[in-house]
Amino acid sequence: MSQPRISVYASSADGNAVPTRVIQGSRTRQARTSHYLAIDPIRDEFAVPNPFAQAILFFRGDADGNEAPLRTLQGPKTLLSQPDNVAVDPLHGEIFVAQFTTDSVLVFPNDAAGDVPPTRILHGPNTKLDGPIRVEVDPVNDLMVVTTRDAVVFFNRTDEGDAAPKWVLSGPKTGLGFSRITRDVKLYPEGRKIIAAARIRGRLPGPPGVDSFGDGHFIGVWQYGDTGDVEPWAVLRATPHSQLMGRRLAFNKEAGDLFVGGDGIVQVYHLPEIFERTE
Amino acid sequence: MMRRFRRFDRLASSRIRPIAMAAILLLTAVWIQTRKSPGVVLAQQGGAASQRQPIILDRPPARVLSDPNPVFRAVAIDTERGEMFMANDKESAGASILVYPTQFTPTDRIMEPRRRIAGPNTDLGMVCGLALSPQHGELYSVSGETGTLNVFSLQASGDVPPVRRLDGIIPRANAGVYLDAANDELWITTEHVNRVSAYRRTFQEEDEPLRYIQGPSTQLADPHGVYVDSEANEIYVTNHGNWRETQTGEGEVRGADSLTRSSLGYNVPGRALPLGPSTGKFLPASITVYSRTANGDAEPVRVIQGPRTRLDQPDGITQDPVTGEIVVANTGDDSVLFFARDATGNMLPVRVLQGTATKLQGPVGVSVDRRHNELWVASWDNHIAAVFPRTAHGDMAPLRVIRTAPENAPLASMGRIGAVAYDAKRDEILVPN
Repeated sequence: MSQPRISVYASSADGNAVPTRVIQGSRTRQARTSHYLAIDPIRDEFAVPNPFAQAILFFRGDADGNEAPLRTLQGPKTLLSQPDNVAVDPLHGEIFVAQFTTDSVLVFPNDAAGDVPPTRILHGPNTKLDGPIRVEVDPVNDLMVVTTRDAVVFFNRTDEGDAAPKWVLSGPKTGLGFSRITRDVKLYPEGRKIIAAARIRGRLPGPPGVDSFGDGHFIGVWQYGDTGDVEPWAVLRATPHSQLMGRRLAFNKEAGDLFVGGDGIVQVYHLPEIFERTE
Repeated sequence: MMRRFRRFDRLASSRIRPIAMAAILLLTAVWIQTRKSPGVVLAQQGGAASQRQPIILDRPPARVLSDPNPVFRAVAIDTERGEMFMANDKESAGASILVYPTQFTPTDRIMEPRRRIAGPNTDLGMVCGLALSPQHGELYSVSGETGTLNVFSLQASGDVPPVRRLDGIIPRANAGVYLDAANDELWITTEHVNRVSAYRRTFQEEDEPLRYIQGPSTQLADPHGVYVDSEANEIYVTNHGNWRETQTGEGEVRGADSLTRSSLGYNVPGRALPLGPSTGKFLPASITVYSRTANGDAEPVRVIQGPRTRLDQPDGITQDPVTGEIVVANTGDDSVLFFARDATGNMLPVRVLQGTATKLQGPVGVSVDRRHNELWVASWDNHIAAVFPRTAHGDMAPLRVIRTAPENAPLASMGRIGAVAYDAKRDEILVPN
């Protein structure tokens, strides 16, 4: 079991480092299962879901200690059902929540507080949203990506109702789909790249070789427009050399660093080739 | 498109624009270098995605952030053999059950366990609840990650598989386990679906529960610890207060017929819920008390709750065998609270153990050694288990501690992390549990 808290470290931290601050305590309203955190750089806030109390919590960017959220999105009108993730679109002032329990994506204003209904809902058989667990948004290229049971599916940012996805990444060459235990997916707008992390048993994406089969994690990078059963453009596989151990993702594009969260561990990979700009 | 890029850049990272431009030039140079690096295998890249040969990025991490020191969560005492079993749920230190003698010469040095149960065959998961039966020579463990109840021999050591394992419809993500020896029943709390379940101690792999308490009337709200007073025929459950309405039977693993997907794990089938009104709310932390024979959507017979109780993220719970007081590890304010056996409502604790002398930081597990008249407290944050006189109160120093890290080591700040995020403004990474 984990403790309900958010630990914050310098990005250069290494080893058994001391956090710069820890946000914890009952006033924070966190549950012990906070499976996502999204940063809003324009409002200088971050959002965290609380699945047990069906809420989204918004904190100051500098939050510290037993500090209450700035505001809480919670109530019958929200339709929130055990929210496990949240994504922020700072440019258009929205947040997105993929709902594993209701096969839907809900969209709210990013300043929503209290019992506020979604402004848009993506839901229906054409959406192919089968057990969506993560959503991310690219506000620059107007793209939304969702991790589902068997695929990673892409929509226009403003799609709603029973809209069909524009691209679908799925199949054995991709290694994706959470039946293969796909977890986080991130978008890199400037390079038009898709970064997804998964754990897989069997064939790993990439060319045959010593490490092409196994029971381990991998991180695949695809390009915008990739659809169907296609190999990633680049892949970091769990090998004795890479020691890759996790599936939670974040990146510092300026430094070319990819942060990978595992079970009680954060690994930092220097992968500047992923963060090339294409435009 | 480029104008939108520029606007985004200006809003999000205007302070670091000059650095970013320099970084781009630097990254370009690095990119050229890395293409020649032996750590990067360049495969052929076809024009069409369908014929693509991926670039293999095989390199070690530049940095690794983790705490290598075990922590203590649950505690269970074998008074007959004089051994203390402690659950270490810190996966970066190798999740384990560590066994120490209950009596030892006080020391400030790191103390090695007498033996440890750990390794892939043990299937411990994120072990967070322990109970034991000296009479039957059995140790019981539950995990906050998996949906199993594992049984080991009390003499187990090393990478041994459980001798029995409950792995049927049992809900996933359990927190506490308690053996009601008088009635030969095992009780388990499940956080995700606000439920307390009872099983036969002698369960077989796919047993159904004997009965369970779950539903909107129960007031179960993110339950953690569980204790059964077999004399009073009452069950005590600590609750953090995160509440949503649950259906009776929710969380049971029944394939595609499972009531909902909640608590089942991402890749386990279950019914989707219709979009409907949300029910979640925050309740004050509480101890809910039920009849031992309660079943289904049962109301508590009494509730200890309110500001005078000082309950704040209560976790492990037990009973003082002499006074009958209810003993609670109160994680949120680094204290141990003691309540009268018949406490109800917004009632003050009869005593409180708290203060810098106690060394308690993030207490999560409690147990009483009736043979030696001692109180054991697992203190998660600072990697210690502290031993006090059974009647300890106030800001009292422990008689002795077991520690798994040096006294000046960083606190255990990361458990199983749920995500990682990067804050470009502060150049920090945020890691929620």
